[in-house]
Amino acid sequence: MLAEETVQKVLGCGVEGGADFAEVFVEDSEVSAIDLLDRKLKDVTSGNAFGVGVRLLFGDEAYYGYSSDAEEESLLELTANLARSGRSNEGGALAPLTRETVNDRHSVRIDPTTVPKGQRVELLRHLDELARKHGDAIAQVGASVLEKKRSVLIANSEGLWVEDARQYARLRLSAVADTGDGPQTASESPGVLGGYEFFDGLDVDRIAGDAAQSALRMAGAGYIEGGLMPVVLGNGFGGVIFHEACGHPLETEAIRKGASPFAGKIGEAVAQPILTAIDDGTMENRWGSLNVDDEGQPAQRTVLIEKGVLKNYLSDRIGARQVGVPRSGSARRESYRFAPVSRMRNTYIDRGPHKVEDMIASVDFGLYAKKMGGGSVDPATGEFNFSVQEGYAIRGGKIAEPVRGATLIGKGYEVLSLISMIGDDLELAAGMCGASSGWVPTTVGQPSIKIDSILVGGR
Amino acid sequence: MDFQQASEFALSLARERHERDVDVLVGRNQSLSIKVLGGKVEKVDQSTSQGLGLRVLREGRTGIAYTERMDPEAIERAFLAAGENADLNDRTEVEMVERVPTVPDPETLELYNPALDDLTLDDLAQFGLAAEEAALAGDPRVKAVPALVVKRSRGIYQVASSHGLQYGQEENSVGAYCSVMLEENGVRKSGGHQWSAREWAPEKGEWLGREAARKGAALMGARPISGGALPVVLDEETAPALLGMYFSGLSAESVQKGLSRFKDKVGQPVAGESIQLLDDPHRKGAPGSRFLDAEGTPTAPLPILENGVLRNLFYHVESARREGRQSTGHAGRGYNGGIGTRSHSLVMNPGEYDLDALCALTERCLLITELEGGAGCNPVSGDISIGVQGFLVENGRRTQPVDSVTIAGNFFDLLQNIQALGDRYQPNLSNRFIPAMLVEGFVLSG
Repeated sequence: MLAEETVQKVLGCGVEGGADFAEVFVEDSEVSAIDLLDRKLKDVTSGNAFGVGVRLLFGDEAYYGYSSDAEEESLLELTANLARSGRSNEGGALAPLTRETVNDRHSVRIDPTTVPKGQRVELLRHLDELARKHGDAIAQVGASVLEKKRSVLIANSEGLWVEDARQYARLRLSAVADTGDGPQTASESPGVLGGYEFFDGLDVDRIAGDAAQSALRMAGAGYIEGGLMPVVLGNGFGGVIFHEACGHPLETEAIRKGASPFAGKIGEAVAQPILTAIDDGTMENRWGSLNVDDEGQPAQRTVLIEKGVLKNYLSDRIGARQVGVPRSGSARRESYRFAPVSRMRNTYIDRGPHKVEDMIASVDFGLYAKKMGGGSVDPATGEFNFSVQEGYAIRGGKIAEPVRGATLIGKGYEVLSLISMIGDDLELAAGMCGASSGWVPTTVGQPSIKIDSILVGGR
Repeated sequence: MDFQQASEFALSLARERHERDVDVLVGRNQSLSIKVLGGKVEKVDQSTSQGLGLRVLREGRTGIAYTERMDPEAIERAFLAAGENADLNDRTEVEMVERVPTVPDPETLELYNPALDDLTLDDLAQFGLAAEEAALAGDPRVKAVPALVVKRSRGIYQVASSHGLQYGQEENSVGAYCSVMLEENGVRKSGGHQWSAREWAPEKGEWLGREAARKGAALMGARPISGGALPVVLDEETAPALLGMYFSGLSAESVQKGLSRFKDKVGQPVAGESIQLLDDPHRKGAPGSRFLDAEGTPTAPLPILENGVLRNLFYHVESARREGRQSTGHAGRGYNGGIGTRSHSLVMNPGEYDLDALCALTERCLLITELEGGAGCNPVSGDISIGVQGFLVENGRRTQPVDSVTIAGNFFDLLQNIQALGDRYQPNLSNRFIPAMLVEGFVLSG
């Protein structure tokens, strides 16, 4: 992607300019997207994203620059500029580059470029039909396929040279139902780190059915009366709460700023003993998996919380050094336009002993949040908010009427200790996570869980 | 090649290949930003990025392709891909604007101040360090300043077509954001403030830090209040943020596709009689102001709400032709995507009350100064369900900071239930000119 000689010169320019450490990140991405809306193809897009990022570290200070101009002269100018901005040090050592072979765990069985684009169009039209079959109240259907191949090269002044190719495939289906009381939307968005075989293997009836039925149920739903109540969170995308409320504050990017409720708590009990949570970048073909992270470290499986005790943070080079923890292979970035920071990969609460039926049966009045929408968190305070895409009131230990427009808010570390039951029905779901190094593919997941008390916003 | 040459090269390919309808959008962004932590600059970002997007139209079929490489080979590859994508696409009513309009000089929009490009790393660093120092000194309970970013950026946007269209403009700004974390007795609270402008104002650094600390400190000791119906006042920062999540429903494309509750509402009252809303594409200094939209259609101020009556929706060429009418100049597009609908500057008429006076209009209300995410806000259904923070105001006095509450309602009811408006807009660069507002009809959960 970039000549070795050029990379070496750029790294050399960085350390000669006084940096302790220099790193080059080259990205060449091919993107292809097809959108269908209102029974018609809307956008058929292909693109090439290309650029080079240069990072220089002067102690704890990071200088990052990027450009889509990869001419050697421009890159050297960029690097020299960055170096001039840094404080004058003696500079680190420059080791000779050694090519490392990536252990490719994530197979691409069908190269997407060998499949005619028309096949994707057929898939989208088929999904549209399947979703609409769920009744006249399905007022609109949108469907899209997104494929991206990110080829990256990471090289640094310590002699690392590693290249990796990451092939992503994702489907999105959204259904809009209107039963006369205003439109309601629901969507399904499965995705993998893998090839076209993902689309061939999709259970299209289930995906279309889930989106359409969820939208229909919410279209006929009323509102829940808000307040503090027990909540049973459905499996799969329900894990977005752990992701936002606990995962982000466990990244060294939050810890090193002294702005996380989990700072200094390794080895302490932060949850009830039934809870174990893991962030695993090695899971085969999972949406949030990696071979190597964006600093070139091999992906790892990191146990975050084991039987209620905080075990590890997710770290990058700077975070690991500042916080004093090992690197976890979690440095990630959306593209060459971002310097890498510690981010989640496939994050989930591990399975537990309970049945979801028993959780429901244990609640006199509460909310069953079968399916979560999105949410966000303030990592400094742990304050989070989430929308419930598909919810039901629980009355007398039974699932009762569907409810819409519910929001869950609370503080992550407080909620963690209120998780009292964990199901045996672990599921994972693909999502996109936005933070300081951009949007990266992450998987969230959990079995069904019961939280004894949480504030539900309703009417 | 530079982006100007790249654009010309792409159009020369169109001529060579007898491709009749092609347009090219190029974007180039440069920025310099710093992050401050612990009394020093801990991160510097310096960037230049650019991209070229091609749109090829073949008998109503649109194909899009883009490249961030500006060499002939990459552009030719994108050109071929756009053509192939067009052949695959469905036919629509879209067509390219053939009559090239004459428009005023974009410089008159006052979006670019060359002096900002001279700001050095040191200028930004001094600003950031002053902000951090002021934030830490602002209140003894400030324990950390986890986010402090100062950034200057500059963007050039240019669109050209095989029909002779050639339009470009340049825009820049400088801004900063500071967030603080306060802690007392194990309870934490964040406070954040931002500043953006097109004039450099180094003295704003200290002010920014102080404001962030002040806002966080004011919320210390916050607790929920009991639920139920309560009038709320959205301040001049939260009002545009909340309403802004729902304006996509004003796009004709959304209405046509059943994704908006504004369907069949043009000519109908949808908001209180005192509400006026104008979309102004020529507002001086407002980010995104422009004389031509992304398809080359001239823009003009467009009344959206007049005395609460919905007057117009936003159209691009395709949505307009679907109804046999003219585009209103609301096509938007980035180099890496297709045509969508965008508003320009949405300007709601201000009222006569400052924030305190607005809160004093009712005996008891919740003044909302922070919104917590927007995941429970659905622009299609209009549902609003969102965590908020702020102050309980009783008889015109702030009697308690409030957190851990949610408000729920619907955007379309909100428009009808605006009781009074504030007398000013928030001061940062924005294209949402929405004042503070007193709204009834929300249900609070706490």
